[in-house]
Amino acid sequence: MDQIVLGFTELLQPSVLMMLAIGVFAGLIVGSIPGMNENIAFAVFIPFSFSLPAEQALALMVGIYCAAAAGGAIPAIMIRVPGTASALLTTVNGNAMARKGQAGQALSIAMTSSVLGGLLSALVLLVFAPVLATIALRFGYVENAALTILGLSSVVGLLSGNVLKGILSAALGLLISTIGFSQVTGYPRYTFGSVNLIEGIPFVPILVGLFGVAAVFDLLQDQIKGRRDNNESEKLPEIGSMHLGRSLICRLVPTWLTSATIGNLIGMLPGAGMLMAIYIAYDQAGRRFRKKFEGRAGEPKWDDGAPEGIAAPEAANNAVTASSMVPLLSLGIPGNSTSALFIGAMALHGLVPGPLLFTQHADIAWMIMVAFLACNILMGPVAYIVIRTVSRLVFSIPKNVMVGLILLLCLLGAYSDGNNLFNVWVALGAGVVAYLMKVSNIPLGPAILGLVLGSQMEASIANSLSISRGSWFVFIDPVNHPISVAMLLLAAVMWIAPILRGLRHLRASYFSAGTSN
Amino acid sequence: MYKSIVLGVVLGSGLISSVSAQDYPMKNIDLVVPFAPGGSVDVTSRLIAEAANQYLGDVKVVVSNRAGGGGIVGQNFVANANPDGYTVLAMTSSVVTNPQLKGAPYSIEDFIPVAAYNLDPEVIAVPASSPFDTIEDFVAAAEEDPLNMAVAGIGTSHHMSGLALTSSVGIEFNYMPAQGFGEQLQAVVGGHADGAFWPMGEAMVHAQAGTVRILAVASDARDANFPDVPTFEESGLGIPVWATFRGWAVPRGTSEESVTFLSELLKQVYEDEKYQQKMTDAGFDATYRDATSFQSLITSYTDQVVPIIEDNGLAR
Repeated sequence: MDQIVLGFTELLQPSVLMMLAIGVFAGLIVGSIPGMNENIAFAVFIPFSFSLPAEQALALMVGIYCAAAAGGAIPAIMIRVPGTASALLTTVNGNAMARKGQAGQALSIAMTSSVLGGLLSALVLLVFAPVLATIALRFGYVENAALTILGLSSVVGLLSGNVLKGILSAALGLLISTIGFSQVTGYPRYTFGSVNLIEGIPFVPILVGLFGVAAVFDLLQDQIKGRRDNNESEKLPEIGSMHLGRSLICRLVPTWLTSATIGNLIGMLPGAGMLMAIYIAYDQAGRRFRKKFEGRAGEPKWDDGAPEGIAAPEAANNAVTASSMVPLLSLGIPGNSTSALFIGAMALHGLVPGPLLFTQHADIAWMIMVAFLACNILMGPVAYIVIRTVSRLVFSIPKNVMVGLILLLCLLGAYSDGNNLFNVWVALGAGVVAYLMKVSNIPLGPAILGLVLGSQMEASIANSLSISRGSWFVFIDPVNHPISVAMLLLAAVMWIAPILRGLRHLRASYFSAGTSN
Repeated sequence: MYKSIVLGVVLGSGLISSVSAQDYPMKNIDLVVPFAPGGSVDVTSRLIAEAANQYLGDVKVVVSNRAGGGGIVGQNFVANANPDGYTVLAMTSSVVTNPQLKGAPYSIEDFIPVAAYNLDPEVIAVPASSPFDTIEDFVAAAEEDPLNMAVAGIGTSHHMSGLALTSSVGIEFNYMPAQGFGEQLQAVVGGHADGAFWPMGEAMVHAQAGTVRILAVASDARDANFPDVPTFEESGLGIPVWATFRGWAVPRGTSEESVTFLSELLKQVYEDEKYQQKMTDAGFDATYRDATSFQSLITSYTDQVVPIIEDNGLAR
């Protein structure tokens, strides 16, 4: 308790609090610009952070990190272009709601979910960090391998219709992740002698391409279609009322709690990250929605404006933010690529994350933890102001101008990740591929998860087999690896449930056909 | 007559060289970091630039990040840059091995070493809960059955340090590659791997925190922070030194004056107490090796790794 007070006294210095607020504001803006994300913002900011005292620099980074994950939802809802990869799934139901004239509601759900997800995760960080860190340590090679399989399996529930196309998509993602110098064998694969491909396809540019550039092509298509049909170009949705009714809030509580829990658990496991969290949360929320609400009077279809479809990924991605600091602060192990950037920023100020931080620089360590709590509290009102002012202004830009602007920003974002022109080609290429996939009705989600999880899956399976001296039973060894067994069982359920549902459906239609004859 | 001509030439060239020494640097010096901001090369480069700029007056050392291809994109950029002294590479030992291991399009001869600012010796680390209390326990266990060792990747300097032990004392290892240090740390602290081959710079804070234990260090003298940890040589491992290095290099063809100027600049930086403190706090050991000494460091590293790459079929 004393330490939490220590953290607060450090944070409540006006200059530090001010930086946190600036960070939240900047994060919302950066998050809501397609092609920009918190990694790029940090890369730009870290060189400047030199001139600031450590506590101010870190408060600003905490603000950006939390708010960027929330800001991504704004363009996702308004124009169906996710601002960050973490808002990828928010586009589906969010934009559907906006097109029905409920943009304000959708934005409000997104921000409330982000704040709640973030707050729960900040509390977890503050109270349970040491306990959770020991759980993270139980994840070895075998458990990590099972985790990646569970993550990939979470897309099965999202595959409406053609499962084969989904598997094809996942295979494509996994294949792309094998490009580059293999850390397992030490040999290059599919690099075609290009220096740029030695480390594989650069990750930020390909993501920017898959969700940003591809969405631009989509908007362009709408434009062209609109012009051909000689229609007035469709206006961007009005933001409208942001008030959430009591019944809606009550109804979303279970989704918030489940999604925040999923985000917290995945966030603290090194390597998994936000994308996996949003897919699993979205899948969970979808199952619940279909069971409880779909088909009722006044309820939309899943994928067509269900509030749960916004609440789940938005609560989950913000729950990842603070929980990804759990292993970083307590052990020095970053939970994902963004929290890894905190290591660099801290090193510039002579701080090394890990157990020693709490003995040598307890003030800073606890300041970071309470900053996560404070920035989520700040985020609600700041988001309201940003949506009412900046976003309203931005979304009054004509749609065709917006399309060009977004494309430019995406390519700029891709380039600035390493200042390498090759990245621009990667982003454009990925955009074309994603657009073609969309046209041929191949879902993009499995490819992205395959891409994200591929190399971790490969390395952890190879290392597990190396430890077991080649025995595959290591993954289902209930004595030494119970966590792995449990996760694989859960993954199996994700595969079997839709099959059973399909069978039941088939049987029902068979019997009904039988009686009619 | 001849004497006066010779004198004239000598005086003239002396004049020219002194003029050109004053002429450099006339503009900002680009310090190319071939990695993204936030990594260890980036952090150390920024600490150096900060200190160096106190001594430079109007011009500045500017860190510019050119990431891609695991460092090769930026390294190749400097190899092909105009050798006018205004493009400097934040050089790591990977420049030595990248051509052979990864097919980088440059060669080590395309660079002139300026000075080294950090040496990072290899250590053998084990979990705090490990049954191995000493390097002797570790070696004895490894002789029985290959131990599972976390490394940054196959073909990295850390993997090769293990291979070097196989050549020198015949103990074999099972390598568990994981790209990020965080993942390796998770595997070691959680007891999923028997140990790790790590650079001292990464291992130090975790050993001080008591989550891992360092059994031996591959440097010519014991580390002041760990006076009880023996060197590889003392432990009978037959490898006097195994260390990666960080330093500055310029493209071949850069004038000697520029190299000397930059080398002296790094020396001034090294002698700055504030800089030394900052490096220590960030977990790096500040050191200084001038151009000649850096060159011999590179040569001995090359002599060490090339046979290992060839014997183990790691070359492309």
